[in-house]
Amino acid sequence: MTGPLIVQSDKTLLLEVDHEQADACRRAIAPFAELERAPEHIHTYRLTPLGLWNARAAGHDAEQVVDALVTHSRYPVPHALLVDVAETMDRYGRLRLLKHPVHGLVLETTDRPVLEEILRSKRIQPLVGARIDPDTVAVHPSERGQIKQALLKLGWPAEDLAGYVDGEAHAIELHEDGWALRPYQKQAVESFWHGGSGVVVLPCGAGKTLVGAGAMATAKSTTLILVTNTVSARQWKHELMRRTSLTEHEIGEYSGAKKEIRPVTIATYQVLTTKRKGVYPHLELFDSRDWGLIVYDEVHLLPAPVFKFTADLQARRRLGLTATLVREDGRESDVFSLIGPKRFDAPWKEIEAQGYIAPADCVEVRVDLTESERLAYATAEADEKYRFCSTTASKQRVTEALVRRHAGEQTLVIGQYIDQLDELGEHLGAPVIKGDTGTAQRERLFDAFRSGELSVLVVSKVANFSIDLPEATVAIQVSGTFGSRQEEAQRLGRVLRPKADGHEARFYSVVARDTVDQDFAAHRQRFLAEQGYAYRIVDASELLADELD
Amino acid sequence: MTTEPEARRRAAPRTLADELRSRPDEALVELLRARPDLLSPVPSDLTQLATRAGTRASVVRAMERLDRFALQVTEALAVAPDPCPYETLAASLPGGEDELPRALGLLRERALVWGGDDRLRLVRTARELLTPNADRPSPTGLGPTLAEATSGMSPGRLQELLIAVGLPTTHDPVSALAALTALFTDRERMASLLAGASEEARATLAKLTWGPPYGEVSERPSAPVRWLLDRGLLLPVGSRTVVLPREVALHLRDGRAHRRLEPLPPALEPARAHPRRSVDAAAAGQALAALTAVEELLTSWSTAAGAPPVLRAGGLGVRDLKRTAVTLDVPEPVAAFWIEVSYAAGLVASDGEADERYAPTPAYDVWLEQPPERRWARLAGAWLASTRPAGLVGERDAKGRALNALGPGLDRGPAPELRRRVLRLLAGLAEGEAPDDEVAAPDVEAVVARLDWECPLRAGTETRGRIARWTLREAELLGVTGRGALASYARPLLDAGAGARTSLEEETERALDGAAARLAPLLPEPLDHVLLQADLTAVAPGPLRRPLAETLNVLADVESKGGATVYRFTPRSVRRALDTGRTASELHSFLAAHSHTPVPQPLAYLIDDVARRHGRLRVGAAGSYVRCDDDALLAEIVADRRAAGLGLRLLAPTVLAAETDPVTLLERLRSMGYAPAAESAEGDVVIHRADTLRTPPRTAPEPVPDGPPRPDRPLLAAAVRAIRAGDRAARVPHRPDRSAPSAPDAPNGRPPRTAAADTLALLRSAVRTGASVVIGYVDADGVAGRRVIDPVRVEDGFVTGYDHIAAEVRTYPLHRVTGAAESADADDG
Repeated sequence: MTGPLIVQSDKTLLLEVDHEQADACRRAIAPFAELERAPEHIHTYRLTPLGLWNARAAGHDAEQVVDALVTHSRYPVPHALLVDVAETMDRYGRLRLLKHPVHGLVLETTDRPVLEEILRSKRIQPLVGARIDPDTVAVHPSERGQIKQALLKLGWPAEDLAGYVDGEAHAIELHEDGWALRPYQKQAVESFWHGGSGVVVLPCGAGKTLVGAGAMATAKSTTLILVTNTVSARQWKHELMRRTSLTEHEIGEYSGAKKEIRPVTIATYQVLTTKRKGVYPHLELFDSRDWGLIVYDEVHLLPAPVFKFTADLQARRRLGLTATLVREDGRESDVFSLIGPKRFDAPWKEIEAQGYIAPADCVEVRVDLTESERLAYATAEADEKYRFCSTTASKQRVTEALVRRHAGEQTLVIGQYIDQLDELGEHLGAPVIKGDTGTAQRERLFDAFRSGELSVLVVSKVANFSIDLPEATVAIQVSGTFGSRQEEAQRLGRVLRPKADGHEARFYSVVARDTVDQDFAAHRQRFLAEQGYAYRIVDASELLADELD
Repeated sequence: MTTEPEARRRAAPRTLADELRSRPDEALVELLRARPDLLSPVPSDLTQLATRAGTRASVVRAMERLDRFALQVTEALAVAPDPCPYETLAASLPGGEDELPRALGLLRERALVWGGDDRLRLVRTARELLTPNADRPSPTGLGPTLAEATSGMSPGRLQELLIAVGLPTTHDPVSALAALTALFTDRERMASLLAGASEEARATLAKLTWGPPYGEVSERPSAPVRWLLDRGLLLPVGSRTVVLPREVALHLRDGRAHRRLEPLPPALEPARAHPRRSVDAAAAGQALAALTAVEELLTSWSTAAGAPPVLRAGGLGVRDLKRTAVTLDVPEPVAAFWIEVSYAAGLVASDGEADERYAPTPAYDVWLEQPPERRWARLAGAWLASTRPAGLVGERDAKGRALNALGPGLDRGPAPELRRRVLRLLAGLAEGEAPDDEVAAPDVEAVVARLDWECPLRAGTETRGRIARWTLREAELLGVTGRGALASYARPLLDAGAGARTSLEEETERALDGAAARLAPLLPEPLDHVLLQADLTAVAPGPLRRPLAETLNVLADVESKGGATVYRFTPRSVRRALDTGRTASELHSFLAAHSHTPVPQPLAYLIDDVARRHGRLRVGAAGSYVRCDDDALLAEIVADRRAAGLGLRLLAPTVLAAETDPVTLLERLRSMGYAPAAESAEGDVVIHRADTLRTPPRTAPEPVPDGPPRPDRPLLAAAVRAIRAGDRAARVPHRPDRSAPSAPDAPNGRPPRTAAADTLALLRSAVRTGASVVIGYVDADGVAGRRVIDPVRVEDGFVTGYDHIAAEVRTYPLHRVTGAAESADADDG
């Protein structure tokens, strides 16, 4: 037995992590293979055209890829796969987007038939202008994003060499007093900057905001930051003021409540996508300043209209931040073509091993429904079944028992259904944060929770993203958005920030046995299980029995 | 010592038969090996052999198997004088001098050319086949000779030609023609004649020089054409067609028969080179993948639901092929290839039932038990010999009918030969055996070009090219090649039929054994453990031992295949395992036994969870019922709206009756999310295991080559012996007396008479020397006769030997043998 890697014919790569050469192999394949699953023994990577083209963009050639596969492979690599790799990679760079001194943006080819082929595509025709010479065609500068997206779909990705505008300069420095960027954060910033634009994937709680700040300090230019909601916008602002040389007056908030445009402006997706009379009135924000950098927080949530705006911003540097590049709508390739390829990725467990995120104990609590509940479940309409089983009284009891067991620890109860949350809040005597809770009220509650005044907080899915609760040590999930994998990951992220006492975080997921709740839970857990978080399964009856002792 | 007249006779045989007679046995063996059609049936003597070798069908067949240069030599001979001296032939093939002896040797061996170097003769049929006429121009582009083109021309017109070229006139058309031919073949005089031609006339000639030699002219030819016609440099063949006579064309071509002579095959340049180690490893990996693919294919065809029906016209339906391709997760052409290989190896066949279906044969079960290298050799051997290229599947025949996998119309006779040729070419490039030796893979198009040279008339250019391309692709799929180069273990496969002194079957068997033995060490050792992971997957980091793989296939779903296998455990897969009668604790211990690490808790939980529910519901067949100790569960089912169609009634608190049959009921309950178990009349849980389907015993299909089978050594030797003997028997009475004192009577056709002691001595010495003897023999009816035999044994009062006249081995009682004499031919050569 040699080599830690097994190359499968379906283009997955299996890496045996306990093998002595595993690290070398991981480094060799990371530039071109996507990490798909990272459970305890064998990590699965996948070869995709996108990944291979990204590798080309980063300066790796097919020879290197083939060499990495052949060198580390335990078994002979299927020849067809090697040929396919070479052919796929060969497609990249036949078309290049360049800045032409006379004609502005042009698409140039080294392989004329390819240009002829793509010019015959209906999707490309409206995006290009006059043919300058047999190998070159003019492209409308505003279509730079569209044409890249369209070419990617046609399987002839264009190498974008047209460069970036510097944007309006603005001095930004990191204030590294008493703290410093962690090595992986530095690496992420460097990879991003070197690549020009792209996405950085880091686990929740691993400090993505600091990667953003680091990128801003490198760019030293005006920056537009797009975030999911107002709370998150405030947290960004707070964090930037604490960590960088930026002052309050230099940071603007562009949200439903305020419309400030400053050298660094933080806008919410919601305000950008507000539509009035068929137009997006806030679109001008993108043109209101000569931005040198655009940061997309939680890029996996990027709403469709923002894709469209982003397509028009190809001349500006773009940084996407996310914990899970799993889009439930499957539009990962749009993220890659419009924002940029993945520039940095670290498995969760690796960051945990370095001590930057807290180890977590994930527990699935299986609750037996009572007979009457089972009967009611069986007779429920199909579309009511999930709601019914995830809000049963049995689950409420178990949840309350769990909260009691962790009394004194900072506990979050997270759920989907407002009625259920209200009921829980009432029973536990804890405040509930939901969609209609005002921003001021929210912040007040968060502060109270942070300071320890409050130890239990019940939150709906509005708090899924970007709330910063440093001392939450226990999260109890009572219901969720069906089988959403990224929601599960985000929720776990709530408790992963390193605890002051190195305490282990706990994540409970309360699930009704023998119902669709269990099926959805299994689906939700897949992402985390694949990241190496092994769920323990515990019977509610055992838990409650402990309670009685 | 050879007498003077005999030497002459040897140098100048009168007929092909004559020449064949003078060839050594070994040469005849070669002839029969190269042209096995001459063997069926075995010709009685050499005259018959020569006649048969001259038949049209046989000559066409022989010419199809010539390489490009040998063919060009044949073509040149066909337009050369008959007989043709070697020097003349060589002159018409400038540039081919070095290769000419080889090509001539080949043509002689194949009995297409005979005669000494001073009088080379192409067999008449070949000459006729290649003689140009208006419908079928010669491949050389040369037209008819002057004599042929002027036949039927009036003597007056001939006179005019003579006058025009300035030759003395004669009334005798024969001498007129001779004079004209002499002029046209005389370089200097011809040059001066052509010097008088106008620029346009010369351009007209140039157009016809390299063929086709026919041209259209208007009814009133232009002046330059007129000028040429007047001098016989062009001759009319119809009202508007003219032809360039061969002699004129040859003059213009400087005597060359071909515009482009190809004496040497195009070089097969290596396109890529890889170390031997890497080639063999890649090929062995693919060999293993091939076995998996075939096993997967036939497993999926083993169940009643999976076995595809046979189309009425024979073959596998398009939809079934698609379905199979999806099952195997390969493109359809690849699926068709695996199906055809399995069929060729006799692993799958039609079951012959009323509603005919394809199913694995009993031979498949035997195959499954063999070690992997033997299984591979079986597939590779079947593939090499198969005349059914799978690449044809999905195309349409000449009548527009779809060609289906396993269906009729797929046989292409030349396929096995072309396949071997391709592999031999690969073998030539991949000679290194040491692990670090670089072995090369050729470019596909170079292989095709090389085949175009090696057998230009075989199978038609297009089919040949396609078979070559398919062969390269299929060889890669099957693991005969790796990264495009021939695997070292595949080399013995090519040795079959290389001339060892054994029968064809034995040779093939030995070749397959050799390949299997060399493949075995390259295959990974099967593993007996898997890696279990908390995300409910199991990874087998290599091939698994069979029982382990079989159980895992039931217990988990395969998610990814290749060198390793990734399995995923799901409630459904675990239930499937429980349905086959395994218990939860068996499953736990099975996993624990085959995992080096502890069983992850979620997996253990999954099994317990499913097992807890499994079999809680019991379903009976008596009108079908559901019984359960849990009243509420039954109530739950009855209340469930999805159960409406089942007609459920609560019979007792713990028993539920249904109108539907148990199978439907089971399915519906499962789809509702329960885990019922079927129950027998006695109340036991019925264990459900999918039956595997098998056909009755079937033999593998015979390949359908486009000619007789390649004869093996013993057959060839026997045939040559028989022919010789027949020849001798036919000629013995006519041979002149060549003073054989011991048997004065023999040559004259009377049975020899010798003393019993002399007879015995002669027969015994013939046994030792293997010579033929003539014996006198009195048969049971008292009639005296002659026999020519090769005695092999003299004992117990009998002589046993090969009887040349009867062409079989016979035994004669010595007391009936009147005498023996050395056969007249015994000292012949």
